[in-house]
Amino acid sequence: MLDKAKNKDAVAYEELSVGYEFPATSYELSSSLVTKYLEAVDNSGNNFVPPLAVAARAMTAMTQSLSLPPGTIHASQDFEFFKLVPIGSVVSCQAKVVRNLARGQMRMLVLELNVFDQKEQKVQSGKATIILPA
Amino acid sequence: MLAEIYQGKTLTPVVKHITQEKINLYAEASGDFNPIHVDESFAAETPLGGTIAHGMLILAYVSEMMEQAFGQSWARSGKLSVRFRMPARPGDTVTATGNIASVREEGDISYVNCRLECHNQKDEVIVTGEGSTELAHSQGGTRGSR
Repeated sequence: MLDKAKNKDAVAYEELSVGYEFPATSYELSSSLVTKYLEAVDNSGNNFVPPLAVAARAMTAMTQSLSLPPGTIHASQDFEFFKLVPIGSVVSCQAKVVRNLARGQMRMLVLELNVFDQKEQKVQSGKATIILPA
Repeated sequence: MLAEIYQGKTLTPVVKHITQEKINLYAEASGDFNPIHVDESFAAETPLGGTIAHGMLILAYVSEMMEQAFGQSWARSGKLSVRFRMPARPGDTVTATGNIASVREEGDISYVNCRLECHNQKDEVIVTGEGSTELAHSQGGTRGSR
C-alpha cells in the first residue's frame, strides 16, 4: 500500500498522462534513518544502506507528490540495483508515469523511478504497479 | 554467503514475525503513513478489516535472504521482480524462501536467477517473483545443474 499524499499541490492520479515526470526530489540516507529502518525490518545491516531502504524512501518521495486515495494497492514491483550506497549519502529520485489505464472500476498506474547518487550515477531503478479506484 | 551455487539449491529462508509496532516503525523509516498500515480504527472499516504490513516491508525480508546468499553482489547488481498476492498482517509469521532456478556463466561472471516466494504461517502465498544477480567466481564456487 502506498501513502496518501498530504501535499496540497499533489497531482490527481486520474489526470496523470503517460510520460508525466514528477518533480525530482532528493533525500539523505542518514545513519539514524538506516538504524530505524534496520530495526523495523529486523536486520543487523552492514556499512551500506540496504537497497530496499533506498527504494522505500524513493517510493515515498514519489508518492508524496501524488494524490492517492486510501486503499491504494501495491500490486507488483520491479527493482534493479547498480551500486552500493554508503550510509549518509544524499540521493535524488526521478519518477515518471509509464502507464495509466482505467478498466471498469479500477485504474492501473505504472510508475518508473530512478535513483542517482551525488555523482549522478544511477544507484537503482524500479517500476511500481499500483491499483486504485477508477 | 552460499558456499556453492547450483541449480536447485535452496536459499536459507528468512523468518520474521510481523507486529503493529514493527509496521509503525517501518512507516517512520520509510515515510509511508498510509492509514491502512498504521491506523487500526481506519483499517478496521475497510474491506481488509484491519491494518496490513507495507509490501515493501515484506520485500525487505526477500532482500535480506538474497544478501545472505549472494553478499554485496545483490546490492550491486541485483534484480527483483515480484507480485503482491495478499497482505501480511500483524501477528503473521512471514517466511521468505527461494531456490536457484538457473545459473549461467559468462567468462568470470555467473548470472544466478532465483525463484522467490513469501508465505505466512498458514502457508498462504503473500509474494511471488524472481530475483537475479551477478556473481564474480571469486565470491563462491559454482557448478553446473544437478
